[in-house]
Amino acid sequence: MLASINSATLLGVGGHPVRVEVHVANGLPAFGVVGLPDASCREARDRVRAALVSSGLTWPSQRITVNLAPTGVPKAGAVLDLAMAVGLLVACGELEPESVDGLAFLGELGLDGSIRSVAGALPLVDAVEADGVVVAHENLLEASLVGERRVHSVGDLRSLVRALRGDDEWPTSPHPAEADEVIQHPDLSDVRGQPIPRFALEVAATGGHHLLMIGPPGAGKSMLARRLPGLLPRLDGSDALQVARIRSAAGEDLPPGGLVRRPPWRAPHHGASAAALVGGGSGTMRPGEISLAHGGVLFLDELGEFAPKVLNTLRQPLEEGTVRVSRVTGSTEYPARVLMVAAMNPCPCGGSGAPGGCRCPESVRARYVRRVSGPLLDRFDLRVDVRRPDPGELLDGNPGESTERVLDRVTTARQRAVDRGVRANSDLSPSDLDAEAVLEPAAVSLLEGALHAGRLSARGLHRVRAVALTISDLRGDEGRLGVDLIDTALSLRIDPFSPVGPSVR
Amino acid sequence: MSDSPVSDGPIEGDVAERAFLAALAGLPAMGPARLRALLDLLGPAGSWKAVSSGRLPREVQAVIGPRAASVATSWVEVARTCTPEAVLAELHSAGVTVARRGEHGYPPALVDDPDPPEVLFSVGRPVVSENGPTVAIVGTRRCTRYGTEVAVEFGRGLSEAGVVVVSGLASGIDTAGHAGVLAAGGGSPPVAVVATGLDIVYPVQNRTLWRRIADAGQIISEFPLGVGPARWRFPARNRIIAALADVLVVVESHLEGGSMHTVTAALERDRPVLVVPGPIRSPASEGANRLLSDGAAPACSVDDILCALNLVCPEPVSPVADHGAPPVVVDPADLGVLEALGWEPTTLDGLATRTRLSPVQLGSVVGRLQRAGLISEERGFLQRCSGSGAP
Repeated sequence: MLASINSATLLGVGGHPVRVEVHVANGLPAFGVVGLPDASCREARDRVRAALVSSGLTWPSQRITVNLAPTGVPKAGAVLDLAMAVGLLVACGELEPESVDGLAFLGELGLDGSIRSVAGALPLVDAVEADGVVVAHENLLEASLVGERRVHSVGDLRSLVRALRGDDEWPTSPHPAEADEVIQHPDLSDVRGQPIPRFALEVAATGGHHLLMIGPPGAGKSMLARRLPGLLPRLDGSDALQVARIRSAAGEDLPPGGLVRRPPWRAPHHGASAAALVGGGSGTMRPGEISLAHGGVLFLDELGEFAPKVLNTLRQPLEEGTVRVSRVTGSTEYPARVLMVAAMNPCPCGGSGAPGGCRCPESVRARYVRRVSGPLLDRFDLRVDVRRPDPGELLDGNPGESTERVLDRVTTARQRAVDRGVRANSDLSPSDLDAEAVLEPAAVSLLEGALHAGRLSARGLHRVRAVALTISDLRGDEGRLGVDLIDTALSLRIDPFSPVGPSVR
Repeated sequence: MSDSPVSDGPIEGDVAERAFLAALAGLPAMGPARLRALLDLLGPAGSWKAVSSGRLPREVQAVIGPRAASVATSWVEVARTCTPEAVLAELHSAGVTVARRGEHGYPPALVDDPDPPEVLFSVGRPVVSENGPTVAIVGTRRCTRYGTEVAVEFGRGLSEAGVVVVSGLASGIDTAGHAGVLAAGGGSPPVAVVATGLDIVYPVQNRTLWRRIADAGQIISEFPLGVGPARWRFPARNRIIAALADVLVVVESHLEGGSMHTVTAALERDRPVLVVPGPIRSPASEGANRLLSDGAAPACSVDDILCALNLVCPEPVSPVADHGAPPVVVDPADLGVLEALGWEPTTLDGLATRTRLSPVQLGSVVGRLQRAGLISEERGFLQRCSGSGAP
């Protein structure tokens, strides 16, 4: 009259093992679920009953109690439906307790007894405390990624019962695993001219430096940004699994093949809320865009149009590489290591931003740019002006350098960062930089000058050194960083918001 | 000036008159036309009496228009709470002097103006009442490096030649013009006409400039203390600038803007307008170039302006600056970049396209040229400097 079945629930991007205990006893017929179920989880009662009845299985007219242990962890969604149904069948003797030994069940039930897929199959399978897992056909691919467990996929309750009783073989999935994903990022050779923004992309991809592009509409900022993921190396095993895990937790489709090998590209609209960007939400918590872009590129187009409050929530995750979202119901940590690329117009009228070159009053422009706070601006190691290319460059027919060739250079240069023990140069701490990015004496005095003139903050000083080191890696230089590299790093770090015109001190 | 400190007792004579003037000018909704109508008819003391009693003469009501009754009511209320003595005391403590049209301390150039201010407030030395040669330098607030440099150069050159330079203390060209005068040191003093009360600095970032002009020269306003910036006050201020000047010089102006209003005001008063030609592709020079094609004379040097003032003969033509001459101590690669940069604001990307240099080559040349003071950078736009010491 008692059964205990393995399953799991989703917490953040990780799974948490759950034991579904079903107790059937004499008394007034009733069906209660305890152990912190949320609304959709509690509704499982009706789904389970209908699914059992439509599958021609017995429904005990007795008092049924389902407990979801550990009872302190909140359970969300319909993932426990299948485990409840199986537990009920065991508890009222339809199935032998031995037949479910070493198996966990993850799936949502339809009223007709069909088994449906659930979001987050990958982390859920990872979390269960059993050697084998039963999931819906659609989840087979994700579930198999974990690799250590036997995975069975079934389409409906009836075939599951037959397989467990040993009457039938386990069904085979109609969704065979395919080979590698084939998504192609657009190629850099489409970009004509624009040598400085191209170079900035290359430096950003190599060193993991956040990039801000400022330019009038139609200058090609988004076009440039879209080509950045193609410049990033493919994700290796643990990163690919991590990205797949986040995407699975968010309920998004995984590429054919399951593992996400291509660095993600996320471009949230500027109307996005803080929860959409960093994660959270009421009820079930969901990873935000910054976590979905983990390991890849987060592109913020029209940076000046995002709500300032929303933008400022990005500051801490950008610094730490993780987001900690706290709600009354609990808190969750999502990974959030991204390469941030942003684009904005120099002023609301869409002019070029040149001194004297637009028709906006200075006060209107100042209000527009103030939406991007100084601390956020300081996170961008690379800030370049993107101007509209001359018609001659667009039409002269010479394609730019291809993504493939640039990627070769990026990969070679990134290896030097890996040899230093970091993923990319932007991860180097100031003390690492002291050891790795040694400056020539002339370069030291140049930076001191910039610091004293108020052009650089102490933090900016380190970032300039890191960028200079990345440029030196790209060139394959050895030895100390010279004045030319520091000058170049400074020229790629403009202050787009400084007031123009003379001032008297 | 002959301003004596206010005594505690009842005020008399000149002092009383100035107190009434200041109090009248400080009334709400009081503009130059209304003030003129009152003073022409009743004089300062009579006007104050009429205002505080609420009985305005029919002629004044006609000037105010259909809202005369409500304006009169609001004046009565204000007049009940403030006394002319208190207003004058406040002006004194702020170091502000008051002058009525035609009286001592009032600029002679404004006396017979078609739209003269009845009352002028000022701080600093009485410069504009001395009737020396005066030039107004005006231009856009959103100026380029080119405009800044020219305005500084003209301001300095004119001041050294003993010409009083008037401008509006706005940001951009106005600031550069004043800065040029201050940089001359020992020349004629700077004069600024502002559109706010003399205790309110607008724009706030010009606070230092404001103080330095008040120390070295004079700041004038027709508005009483406590008046903040308002849209209509700027064209009103511009007419005073135009009227004070013997010659108006426009350095960079967009097609529309305050400096174009000043030009219109100057033409109404038969003041010659000289215009600094600008690059035809620069929006900041569109208005200036339009004025030139409409027949304004070009101002290509300080001498051009001195000529228009009949101070020098037009024979020797001196270039504005040695723009054409190659700068010294620059290696050939740097010189090539300078030439490719030209005299218009250009992004680093534009320069890289023109010179075909790699980002690192170009970055190091640009850094070197910046340190040599040959180019400057604003929001990523690179501009050549003529080395005239512009701020």
